[in-house]
Amino acid sequence: MKQLTVWVFAFACLLSTQAWAKVDIQTWQTAKGTKVMYVHAPQLPMVDVELLFDAGSARDGDQWGVASFTANLLGTATPRHDENQISETFNDLGVQIGSSAGRDTASIHLRSLTRDEVLTPAMTLFAEISSQPIFRKKIMAREKARLMTGLKQKTVKPQSMLSDELWSKLYGDHPYAHPVSGTLKTVQKLTVDDVKAFYKRYYVAANAQVTIVGAVDRKKAEQMAEALTRNLPTGEKASALPQPKPLEKAQAKIIRFGSTQTYYTLAQQGVKRGDPDYYALFLGNHLLGGSGFGSLLMEEVREKRGLVYGVSSGFYPMKVPGPFQIGLSTKNTSAKEADEVVKQTLAQFMKDFPDEKLEAIKSNLVGGFPLRIDSNSKIAGYISMIGFYDMPLDYLERFPKKMAELSKEDVLKAWRKHIHPNKMLTLMVGEPDVKPVAK
Amino acid sequence: MVRIGWFGLVMALAWPAHASISKFKLDNGMQVLVKEDHRAPVVVQQVWYRVGSNYEYGGITGISHMLEHMMFKGTKSLKPGEFSKTVSKLGGQDNAFTSNDYTAYYQVVGNQNLEKVMELESDRMRNLVIKDEEFQKERDVVTEERRWRVEDRPGSKLYELFKASAYVNSPQHHPVIGWMSDIRAYTVDDLQHWYQQWYAPNNATLVVVGDVDPQQVYEWAKRYYGAHKPETITPPKPRVEIEQEGERRIKMKGATKSPSLIMGFHAPSLVTAKNSQEVYALSVLNSVLDGGDSARLPRDLVRGSKIAVSAGASYDETSRLESLFMLNITPSEGKTLEEAEAALWAQIEQLQQQPISEQELKRVLAQTEAQYVFHQDSIQSQAMILGSLVSIGLPIETYDNWVENLRQVTPEAVQAVAKKYLTRDKVTVASLLPNGEGAKSSAVPVMEGGVR
Repeated sequence: MKQLTVWVFAFACLLSTQAWAKVDIQTWQTAKGTKVMYVHAPQLPMVDVELLFDAGSARDGDQWGVASFTANLLGTATPRHDENQISETFNDLGVQIGSSAGRDTASIHLRSLTRDEVLTPAMTLFAEISSQPIFRKKIMAREKARLMTGLKQKTVKPQSMLSDELWSKLYGDHPYAHPVSGTLKTVQKLTVDDVKAFYKRYYVAANAQVTIVGAVDRKKAEQMAEALTRNLPTGEKASALPQPKPLEKAQAKIIRFGSTQTYYTLAQQGVKRGDPDYYALFLGNHLLGGSGFGSLLMEEVREKRGLVYGVSSGFYPMKVPGPFQIGLSTKNTSAKEADEVVKQTLAQFMKDFPDEKLEAIKSNLVGGFPLRIDSNSKIAGYISMIGFYDMPLDYLERFPKKMAELSKEDVLKAWRKHIHPNKMLTLMVGEPDVKPVAK
Repeated sequence: MVRIGWFGLVMALAWPAHASISKFKLDNGMQVLVKEDHRAPVVVQQVWYRVGSNYEYGGITGISHMLEHMMFKGTKSLKPGEFSKTVSKLGGQDNAFTSNDYTAYYQVVGNQNLEKVMELESDRMRNLVIKDEEFQKERDVVTEERRWRVEDRPGSKLYELFKASAYVNSPQHHPVIGWMSDIRAYTVDDLQHWYQQWYAPNNATLVVVGDVDPQQVYEWAKRYYGAHKPETITPPKPRVEIEQEGERRIKMKGATKSPSLIMGFHAPSLVTAKNSQEVYALSVLNSVLDGGDSARLPRDLVRGSKIAVSAGASYDETSRLESLFMLNITPSEGKTLEEAEAALWAQIEQLQQQPISEQELKRVLAQTEAQYVFHQDSIQSQAMILGSLVSIGLPIETYDNWVENLRQVTPEAVQAVAKKYLTRDKVTVASLLPNGEGAKSSAVPVMEGGVR
């Protein structure tokens, strides 16, 4: 591939529209009070279903890793089925199922054919593993050992080292600061009781959301959402997260590691999902480093100088301000030059950028809208985000209008308000040709 | 670099969305395939050239991939970078990929922009301009790509060494991206020659999937791609892999905390097989070992005996040259690579001694059927399957017939291929061992200020 994105921002790209490309999002609440997000997509005989909880690693407390561990243990036992029976049932149906946790959310996702003899048993088992799980000591011990091996392996992966360090330095003692899967020390201490307690508190109807996209009609979707949430206790929504404190001054850190490239990031806290300035920040970022080969960073760092294979930037809006981040990797001997070029490019961009570049990027955002909603999985991703972060249902249609309205001044104003190049975090992992210096 | 292993099947009962594929051939020999999908006003154009790393020889390895990079660097009428910028302005996405057997270019755009991207793509089929300055910079980019993909990932490096050991004289010996010293030694002439030799309409297939009218696509294809003259295509010399006579074993040390192992056996692909039913049997065998959580490797080795933290199998049924049936394993802490390898052999012996169950066979078919529907959610994935099949010389019907062929596979046939191909004298084993190195984070404290 000629192109890559070093850091993936799950929801970073949201976009504009043309009148004819409308997504009909429907929403309602189940009897238990769970929000449902639904789009009818009748063309293929398949459906994507997601059960999501406000139960990401930001809810770990001192038990770093418990949120991720809880999500991973779902599907390992219920009162009626053991681990092998569960996997055999899903596999025999050809159904894909998986669970995962991030910082804000934990979720279980299922993709199934919509034929009754497949979908009905699949949904029954889906509801069973999510609302009646049993957490067994033996399985927990086994999964803990596997996770510990993975965590040790992370200590020799430069990308992982960089990412863990970024969240730690950027968020200090905020619940976003620690790694989603925990650390060797904290995971070692986790017990079955910790997992049970976490599950009991957060896997409740009031703290859940159901997303359904596929060839099931509204009535069927209602039945599916009811069945999924019927056996969940009502419970309570998770409490609001604290505001993170932004960096007060520039910080830099190098982690020495014998890789052939230096893995680099320049970062700061950005904005939360729903911030009114996000539109202008997003548009600007698309131009700076968020749109691959159309972007300034790619032009300066890769095309003009050949320093990298990939360079990108992005905002990662979350429940509270998520990071803004520029990332790249380059051979150790050009780390210094790459750092300088990135900083110059950001500074120049925040000073001014050509009008024709702004027009080109607007054109990309408006014209590219249909590409963002051309599959069930993309639509499911968007409506899940819109529901979880309480965005307006017409968010997708609103976006292009916002894009069209924004002027260069709007973009620059938002960037200067939120991004402070003199207070950013610079991280490097590798053997860069630079020395850290105290001022 | 893309591998397409898993096709689905069609339950003919299935579904009206099972769209027909329109096939055309231009006078200059270029093939055109169009598949309609009207779910969204979006279309993907892919142009596939029958050239990839398996067409290369020593000294210029990776040149197909390098040329892929240069294809974005301008033509007689476009400045460097202008191709992508134009597609971006149209709201489109574009990229390219190189594999062992092919190189392909694609754009995804709103359907009103299809003609424009066809015009652009046809221009660079024959009118590329390779300038030294652009070439030098882009070669640096490719070396960074190699560092990122391979040099800093012990697992990728091991795989590269594994393939170089499993294949001696076949071009599958070398990596798609090429060896670093070969990358550094390319010249503009090498690229110019490679371009002229392979990028011609009669060595290419146009695949279009999306909200389009096939007849209209054909008209545009004639207008743009039809304008080019065909080239004399000389196929590469055979270089058929020598017979393996005894086990091969290598070890590598790298920055890893867990040792791991890859084991592989030469096996036929649909292109090379004398009896294609063997390929379908191997495909079933692969799924029995590694098709979901209930497959044998995760069930027996990760959850059952807990000897491994992960274990898997893979097999590329659609390679143009001979394929490999591969197994990999990462032992649990406290278990050795020898014990992990023995556990894989025990799995193989079980497959050789006892036929798989009817239930396992049924599971493979159910999963394949579902996959067939799921993959249609993406127009890209639909186009990929068509393009890759044609580029290795298989009929596009291969796809529609896939499940039907899997249905012919019996437990005895699976047992027979396990006995025939997974033998100790034909194995290549590559082990990765920790070199003891790690990060030295405590050596450098956080500093205020900047990095000089």
